[in-house]
Order: sequence, then C-alpha cells, then structure tokens
Amino acid sequence: MKDDKEMNCEYTRGKLTEWLNNNLEKSEQMEVNRHLAECMSCQEAFAADKQIWDSMAKIRIPEPKEAMRTNFYTMLDEFKEAEKAAARFSFQSMMESIREFVLPQWTVQVGFSLLLVGLGWVIGNRTSRSKVDAVAYQQRIETLASQVQDMKSTMMLSLLENPSATERLRAVGYTSEITHADDRILEALFTTLNNDPNVNVRLVTLEALTQYAGDASVREGLVKSLALQDSPMVQVALADVMVKLQEKRSVKALKTLLQKEDLNDLVKVKIEQTIKDLS
Amino acid sequence: MNTLTDNSLMLRVKTGDLDKMGLLFERYNRPLFGFFYHMTHKADLSEDLVQNVFYRMLKYRHTFTGDGEFRTWMYHLARNVLNDSVKQNRSFNFYDVNEVADRLEGGMRADENLERQQENAVLHEAMGALSPEYREVLILSRFQEMKYDEIAKVLNINEGTVKVRVHRALGELKKRFFTNERR
Repeated sequence: MKDDKEMNCEYTRGKLTEWLNNNLEKSEQMEVNRHLAECMSCQEAFAADKQIWDSMAKIRIPEPKEAMRTNFYTMLDEFKEAEKAAARFSFQSMMESIREFVLPQWTVQVGFSLLLVGLGWVIGNRTSRSKVDAVAYQQRIETLASQVQDMKSTMMLSLLENPSATERLRAVGYTSEITHADDRILEALFTTLNNDPNVNVRLVTLEALTQYAGDASVREGLVKSLALQDSPMVQVALADVMVKLQEKRSVKALKTLLQKEDLNDLVKVKIEQTIKDLS
Repeated sequence: MNTLTDNSLMLRVKTGDLDKMGLLFERYNRPLFGFFYHMTHKADLSEDLVQNVFYRMLKYRHTFTGDGEFRTWMYHLARNVLNDSVKQNRSFNFYDVNEVADRLEGGMRADENLERQQENAVLHEAMGALSPEYREVLILSRFQEMKYDEIAKVLNINEGTVKVRVHRALGELKKRFFTNERR
C-alpha cells in the first residue's frame, strides 16, 4: 500500500506542470485530483507550483507603443509597393502581356520555327567556312612538314661528311625520318655504303637503303655494291638483303664475289647458300 | 464575426492578398510582443523584433504550406528573429534587471500594494536568471498558452523533451523565487 502511494506521488508530481498547463486528459486530471486530496506532501508541492504559476500570470508587461502598429502598416505598404514594382518588371509578366495582347499562340510557334531555320543556316555557313579554314591550315602544316624534311636531309648530308663515325651513324639514322629520299640523298648513302671506313656505318647505311629498295636504281646500286665490299659482315648482310628482295640479278655479282681469293670461309658458305636460294 | 482562420488568412497572403497580413497583425502583435518582452525585457527591442517577424512572414510567405498551424510557423520565425538579434548583439545585455525595476516602478498602479510589487520584482528577477531555454518553454506554455505538442513543433523537439523541460524550468524558477523572497 505504501509503495503504491509513493508511486502515486511520483506520478502526480510528474503531472503537476501538465495539470497547471491544462495539458491533461480528463481522466488523468481526476486521478491527480484524487491523489492530491489524500496526500499532504503533494498538496504542498502543488501549492508552491501553483503560487508561482499564478504569480507569473500577474507579471505585468508594458503595452507596445502605438508606433509599432503605425510602423507595421507603413512596412506593409512599402512591401506591397516593392512587390508591385517587381512584378511589373518581371520577365514573366512581360512575356505574359506580349503573348496576351500582341501575339496569338501560333505566331510564337512560327517565330520559333523561323528562328530555328535561321539558326541552322547560320551554323551551316559557319561550319563550311571553317572547312575552308581547315584546308588552308592543312596546307600550312604540309608546307611546314616539307620544310622540316628539307632541313633534315640537308643536315643529314652535312653530317655524313663528319669525320666522327658516331656523327655519321646519326646522319644515317635520320634517313628513317625522311619519307621521300631524293637522288642527292641516295647518292650520298651509296657513297657511304661503298666508301665509309667504318663497318658499322656501312651496315646501318645498308639498312637505311633497304627501306628505299622499292626503287629499281637502289636495287641496282645494292647489287653493284656487292663487288665493292671487303668486310665479311657487310658482305653477309648484303647477301641477306638480296634474298629478302629476291634480287635475281645479284646472282652474277655473287658468283664474281666467290672468285675473290681472300674471301672468308663463312662468307663463302653464306654466298653459296644465297645463290641457291635465289636460283 | 471572426470566421477566417489564421491559416486561411495566411494562405491568402501567400497568394498575393498582402492586406490580409493586417488582420494577422491585429491578432498577434500583442502575444508576440509579450513573447519578446519576456525573453529580452527590452520593450523597444521587442517592438522592433515584432516588426521583423511580420516582415519575414511577408517575405517568406511562400514557405507557409498550411499543413501546420499558423501560430506554430509564426513562433518558429519569431525564435529565428530573436536568435539573429542575439547573435548580432553579443555584447548586448539582454534581460537587464535594473531596467525591469525602473519600468515597473513607473508602471505600477497606485492601488497595488507593496507586497504585490515586491513579488512581481522577485519573480522577474527569477525569470531573468533562468537559462533562455527554460525561460522560453515557460513563456510559451504560460503566456502563449501553448500545449506541449505545439511547443514541440515550434522548438523542433519531441513532446517528451518539452514536458521534461517545462518541469525542470518550473522547478528552477520555484527554487529561485522562494530563496529570493526569503531574503
């Protein structure tokens, strides 16, 4: 019984503010009332709460000045004016009035179609003009490219004269970047192939010349070169090129080569093999 | 006849009938002033803040959906206005007890006895000593006579929290009130 009462006290005190606040359901309110009637300590607590609650109601607050009302209506008027001004100049209302008074719906549609057609025409014009631009641009690029090629061949030719073998190797290397070898270059390359004192330079030159083997005069030059080479390495390399090119005219030159007295044995075997492959 | 509800008035304001805000002003300028006055104890400032709330309601009228109560929305804005004002005036001393005393002395009626005056002053002081959080729930429930569920919506917290907060606020107020009275 006592526990029950304690629980009730706790429950009631939790509800006091709600009771004061008129925040309770009818049944809850009656429950609180009933407990208060029989519990002194809760009554005391409640009395204190209620005193405060009632005093709060008596707190006097000053009246707002009349100016507050005047200010409000002034503000409201100004706000309305500002809104009206904003509405008058807004894009939407402008479109609205144009549509309502000047143009019926279909004219807007026709207008837009015309606009689109015009736009298409302008764009078309622009792109075709830019095609012309592109052609001119392409031409300029080509001119530049051929100028670069010229420069490269000139550089190559002068480098081939260089006494340093490394420089000459570099010069021959440039030929891979030269797309159209002219007679000048081919002649210089053959001169190098046949006369350069350095075997490596000659080998690289042979490689470089092979890429122009589509040209009949190049093939002819290569065949002639067979007789002029004395280095076994270059001879073997030349023989390989002949097989690769399937150059039957070289058989005669190869046979002449076999007649040479100081021919390396390995080379001799290689040449014989080559003659067999070609015939 | 007061047939137009707050919500229907505000919805008309929203659709462009701005004059209807005048009616809402007549209904709520005093409760709002009371709210600000209790929170700040500055009459002039409170008048400005009331004006500010009505301005914001006009400016942000499109945010009023009509789903909830107009009053809830209004107090929501009012709290924002108050918070902004507090932020702007960090050094500003809200709730100046001396000013309160001055005003009350001037405003007391002759027939009010001294005891009443004292009680009033003590309660004022006790209210001023509460944290703004506590003061706020007491003001909303006692002076604006809001139910807990409505306070919960204004403060964006749940109803249980409101209940606990009111209970604690009242306890705190009681403690301060009775110790001061005994002095």
